[in-house]
Amino acid sequence: MRKIIYSFVFIFAAGIIFSACEKEFLDNYPTDNVSSFGVTSSTGTALAALNGIHRTFYERRYGSQGRVGIGSWYYHIAEKADDMVFNYATWTTYVRWLNRDATNSYNKSDWLRFYDWIANANVLINGVGEETSGSQDEKDIIVGQALLYRAFCHFNLVQMWAIRYNPAGGNSQPGVPIMTETTTEGQARATVEEVYAHINQDIDAAILLLDGQPRTNKSHLNVDIARGLKARVALTMGNYPTAASFAVLARTTDYAPMDSATYFYGFRISSQSNDEFMWASHLTEDQTDKWGNYGAYVSRNFSSSSIRKNPRSISSILYNTISPTDVRKLLWDPTGDHLNLPPGVTIVGSARRYPYTNQKFIAVSSGDSRVDVPHMRISEMYLIEAEAEARQGHDAAAAAALYTMAVARDSYYTLSTNTGQALIDEIMIQRRTELWGEGFRWFDLKRLNLPLDRNGANHKGSVINDLFDVPAGDNMWVSLIPQAEMDANENMVQNPL
Amino acid sequence: MKRLTILFTLLVFVGLQLFSQGGVITGTVTSAEEGNTLPGVSVVVRGTTIGTITDVDGNYSLIVPDDATVLMFTYVGMKTVEETIGGRSVIDAILEQDVFGLDEVVITAYGTSKKGAFTGAATQVNSSKIELRPITNVSSAIEGAAPGIQVTGTKGQPGSDQSIRVRGFGSYSASNSPLYVVDGVPYSGSISAINPVDIESVTVLKDASSTALYGNKAANGVILITTKKGKPGQGQLSVNASFGVISRAQPEYELIDAFDYYPIMWEAMRNADAIPGVDTPADVTTASQDATDNIFDELGYNPFNVANDAIVGTDGKINSSASLWNDYANDLDWLDAVTRTGQRKNFDLSYQGGTENTDYYVSVGYLEEEGFIKDSDLTRITGRAKVNFQATNWLKTGFNVNAATRESNFSQAGSGQSSNFVNPIRFTRGIGSIYPIHQIDPATGLYILDDNGKKQYDIYDHRAGGASSGRHVPAEIDWDEDKDETSTVGARTYMEVSFLNDFKFTTNVSFDQRVLYWTFYNNPLIGDGSPGGRAYRSFTRANSTNFNQLLTYVKTFGIHNFDVILGHESYRYQYNRLRGARTQQVADDNTELINFVTITRSDSYQDVYTTEGYFGRANYDFDGKYFLSASFRADGSSKFHPDNRWGNFWSVGLAWRLDQEPFIQNINFIDMAKFRASYGQVGNDAGIDNYAYQALYSLGWNNQSEMGITQDKLAADALVWESNNSVDIALEFGLFNKLFGTIEFYRKISDNLLFDVPLPLSSGLDSKTENVGTLFNQGIEISLSFDAVKTQDFTWNIQANLSTLKNEFTVLPQEEIIDGSKKLMVGRSLYDYWQREWYGVDPDDGAALYRADDVTETVRIKGSDTLTTDRNNARYKYAGSAIPDVFGSFSNTFSYKGFELNVMFTYQVGGLVMDYNYQSCMSSGTYGGGISVDILDRWQQPGDITDVPRMDASQTSNFNLTSTRWLTDASYLNLRHATLSYNLPAVINNKLGTSRSRVYISGENLFLMNARKGMNVQQNFSGTTSNVFTPSRVMTLGLIVNF
Repeated sequence: MRKIIYSFVFIFAAGIIFSACEKEFLDNYPTDNVSSFGVTSSTGTALAALNGIHRTFYERRYGSQGRVGIGSWYYHIAEKADDMVFNYATWTTYVRWLNRDATNSYNKSDWLRFYDWIANANVLINGVGEETSGSQDEKDIIVGQALLYRAFCHFNLVQMWAIRYNPAGGNSQPGVPIMTETTTEGQARATVEEVYAHINQDIDAAILLLDGQPRTNKSHLNVDIARGLKARVALTMGNYPTAASFAVLARTTDYAPMDSATYFYGFRISSQSNDEFMWASHLTEDQTDKWGNYGAYVSRNFSSSSIRKNPRSISSILYNTISPTDVRKLLWDPTGDHLNLPPGVTIVGSARRYPYTNQKFIAVSSGDSRVDVPHMRISEMYLIEAEAEARQGHDAAAAAALYTMAVARDSYYTLSTNTGQALIDEIMIQRRTELWGEGFRWFDLKRLNLPLDRNGANHKGSVINDLFDVPAGDNMWVSLIPQAEMDANENMVQNPL
Repeated sequence: MKRLTILFTLLVFVGLQLFSQGGVITGTVTSAEEGNTLPGVSVVVRGTTIGTITDVDGNYSLIVPDDATVLMFTYVGMKTVEETIGGRSVIDAILEQDVFGLDEVVITAYGTSKKGAFTGAATQVNSSKIELRPITNVSSAIEGAAPGIQVTGTKGQPGSDQSIRVRGFGSYSASNSPLYVVDGVPYSGSISAINPVDIESVTVLKDASSTALYGNKAANGVILITTKKGKPGQGQLSVNASFGVISRAQPEYELIDAFDYYPIMWEAMRNADAIPGVDTPADVTTASQDATDNIFDELGYNPFNVANDAIVGTDGKINSSASLWNDYANDLDWLDAVTRTGQRKNFDLSYQGGTENTDYYVSVGYLEEEGFIKDSDLTRITGRAKVNFQATNWLKTGFNVNAATRESNFSQAGSGQSSNFVNPIRFTRGIGSIYPIHQIDPATGLYILDDNGKKQYDIYDHRAGGASSGRHVPAEIDWDEDKDETSTVGARTYMEVSFLNDFKFTTNVSFDQRVLYWTFYNNPLIGDGSPGGRAYRSFTRANSTNFNQLLTYVKTFGIHNFDVILGHESYRYQYNRLRGARTQQVADDNTELINFVTITRSDSYQDVYTTEGYFGRANYDFDGKYFLSASFRADGSSKFHPDNRWGNFWSVGLAWRLDQEPFIQNINFIDMAKFRASYGQVGNDAGIDNYAYQALYSLGWNNQSEMGITQDKLAADALVWESNNSVDIALEFGLFNKLFGTIEFYRKISDNLLFDVPLPLSSGLDSKTENVGTLFNQGIEISLSFDAVKTQDFTWNIQANLSTLKNEFTVLPQEEIIDGSKKLMVGRSLYDYWQREWYGVDPDDGAALYRADDVTETVRIKGSDTLTTDRNNARYKYAGSAIPDVFGSFSNTFSYKGFELNVMFTYQVGGLVMDYNYQSCMSSGTYGGGISVDILDRWQQPGDITDVPRMDASQTSNFNLTSTRWLTDASYLNLRHATLSYNLPAVINNKLGTSRSRVYISGENLFLMNARKGMNVQQNFSGTTSNVFTPSRVMTLGLIVNF
């Protein structure tokens, strides 16, 4: 009898202990994430979400070290054109224009990256409002910047995946989907005209919101960046009056072109204190991606196998146009020996030597690849103004704008006496030299409907896969829509093969 | 509810019986064949939980209730005997050997069953099949053991797991891996922490009827591992010591040597400029001269004793006076530089024993294993102790504790790093045959020695781009560290209370902890650490706790036998990770983080996953002829939204022992026949995110000093369990006292698939997990065991099994989903290839031709075929499947007196492999890359008929395109293992004072036959090859001695 009593006592005890599994037992929450609900409930969290976008402008998101932030986009765009020369056959996807293929993994990640930023921006644009706690100024700053990001991304997308914007009109060719909502439904491509209209609409709205607002550092976007972006877009559209006027508006007293001495050692991690830089990502020591940073590909002194084997060179043709008194003559070395480096900078002995390699970009050290990522510089504003004026036939205004920038690089530079096409050519040479490696040249060729011509310079056929020429307007100027987008979006239409 | 009521009624009814008095029965159990007494035989009053076991001398004593009618005597390998009590107080029993194993105890979910009564599909591998094999990870014992189970090949990294699939591929985005249950508790640790010598049995449960009680996690089958326990009787000490050697099991792809390499690359260079027979002779002459002058500049090294511009003549042939120059001759074999003959040393000691009240098992094991790639190894120390104690006749308890520590070096070849640049398999395969390992003076052809007169690795960036320039695998293996140190501790305890004659209440508590400390270091001279060096440490801890309570009821009413179980289970898994990384090494020879300057990573996080379940099962058998089993389980998972978190799973199974029917018993040659069928539903939540339903932003995206977050995923409140519904029908038979077999059919339908549905990338996300899609797996499984010869001294047994598998989608979220090399569509399988269609080589110019997609683009017409040379215009098509037509294994066991030889082959017929590794060796001109001998068949001049395009460095993207060209027959035959053992005769044992001694030689992965030398077919289930650590061949000599 006693054993029966024991048994029942035991069973009841066990039952009490183990049936007391509370409901919360199955409720778990991650520690490395926060709930999406409430991201726009206050300007504090919304600002964190905005800073997330700033950060992903220089952080790895899609695995490969060649896909880190927007910096990889800049140097990849440069690789596709004629002014940046590869010396060695590795990491040649863009040099050989293979990124254009629908199944190419870079093509996919480039496309996804811009839409990822847009999706993050849309949460803020659509979510920050009356319900959000915080001041109106804070809300304006957040939404204004998000709008600029959306415009910036649509602008890059339409330039890569659509036929160029033709200033003569008739831009009803397919552009890219305009994304303004959080949705997983596949959207159809808007026309190129519509995409540019939307880009301008976002920028104009941002200008209103950001006018007069401060910013904490140059990774944030303010009204100057909005105006600068407006000028950049207008130049691409061939809308030269707007390009010139907004380039001027963007140039506030906060910025000034670097002088020659500063320029010699100007592209490193000092963007935040250098008035040349209007918008730039600054990399701190613990936010670095050693092999993926912008500087791990474009600098001369970081010791990655990519740089040791394949230091990036400038086209010998372009180099030979630079005046000997121009500081930029020193940023590429025709011998490749780099005997004239800034103080304290060294290149490892195992680095291979090739002519015309650059020392424009200087990483922290051979073991630390950080170089701040430049998104917008004051010199570009002068170059936009000069080009836009020249293309309108305003030679004097163009020469004057060019002078301010050029004399800062070369104290012997005198006001240009060129006119007409000769002046335009001079401005374009200055533009190519000034913005080398920063992601402009291929887009310039495309917007101006020029051919790719790599002949006669130091390009090697075995490196560029004998891709010396691509005629203007060829299908190859338009990347194919990534296959993954084609597969999942029934409204999507492919570009011509 | 109804079942509960019935149970309660029974409980009351039985309770009333309790007051009746009982009597004591004693007796002795002996073996029919040998006549000796049998210790450890289980003696149970039929239909109750009342029982005991025989002691050392085979005697037992048992208090039985008045109403007890029958005593059952069961013992492993013997037929169960039932004796009617009929008022006797002394009952002896004689047990006969069980030829067909129908009375064999099969470990099942939360209990055991006799094979003959089991309604589900299960295969059990017992310790005798494991103990003589030099296997480090018990997953190796499952390969080939039963039909319907597919296992990936072993990997060369010592101790690595093999992936297992039970009856096809029932999930898409969720996990397809079976659930491991160790000693009754779901196991989240590494299987390689378990010493195979401690394993009593491994049971694979295949159908829903046998797995449904594990409801939530059982969709992909269950692998039950039961560790050894002590047997009552005189204690026994066993020693198992073995020594082995390890080498590479499969050859490497055949690559061309330096004398072929230069002309081939010369040709690639020449043809990029001008092609003979296509371009003008003048252009070809110029291009040839150019190639002769410049090929050295592209390749960077000249291993020959001729001038750099005279290695290849303008005729494209190697200079006839060229020979390998001085030290080059011995310095070009990279594979040899990183491989070795590894050693395997294993020493296990165990002792066990028991009385009728207590049993114990204790073991310690030591293993040291070296892979055939340098610096890949495993050192493992394991310990286990298991004690069971029958405190009173109604209370039993036990404790089972195990600990293991493992240390493993990875030589950067871990399976997860197959794309790593310095994976030695990839590196040595991918390097051209002209590159020296060490620094050689180009002026003399002699090694450049360091101050100590030693050769120095050539770590500079002078090799061509295709030759992993800037990396150096022998150097990085020597100088870097990649080491895992894992400690595992597990403890299980239970308390079992028997009451009211028929009831038993059991509480199980278990705790498992795994701690992994990862040391990773890259040297400052070459590779990812250069310059400056970098170190990474991570510390991860996984704790899992499991509580369950089981109430069992066993009762017999005449010829009706009931066995009911009710239970509750809760499970909690917690994972923590802490990691840090720094760069810029200070002092040499110290790789701790403190010795580095710059912090590049420092973070931590915790994940928690919990489940809870309520379940019940009722087994009923009528007169040992008809068996019925039904089960139900409700499970909640923290991965799903509170509104959708509970899933209900159930099964029914029945078995019919035809051989108990008179009309079968009259047929002489039928010794045994059983029909069984089952249907059931189980669930799956494995392999998806722990917080799958939650909309999240991820932390850690700070911008300078400002806090930053980014969108991680969208909400998925509607997610529910994936469910797996399966039907199983089988016939088990024994004929002529020689042939035993099972023929089985199954169909498994996976519904509500947890599916990472691809999203338009323009949404900013690439996929989202949803419950969409249905697919089924179905197949036939046949297994046969045939005693070809059975005499006193010599026996020969043949076992064979064969499986078919059909996998097909019936519902998908999108019309088609392209996933890597495959495309999913309704009516197609998970592993149907979708590839660009290779056509052949144009005899006119040697171009690679593909079927054209867009016929308005630039195309070539050949006969009636519209073709293209443009990779972007090459058309896709369905091109076969990775799933084989038939797969299985067969083995032969011969025994002659004390000798036994066991040989097992595994095989598959049909299916295709996408041989990416071969593709990478078939480039039409990547300077510096390794090249297959098949490239020698390339097109050279107009009119050449071949399937290898011309060499042309400017066309590598088009000519070497991923296409149907690389699909290869996946059939193989693998001599998976063989063991020869010898039992020392009794006279010697007597002299040695041992009870049994055996010596054996055993080998794993002895021989492989497949369609291409170098191809590793069994890498994964999807049929693609990558640079995984090639399997190793293990040959051991061992000794087992029992005292």
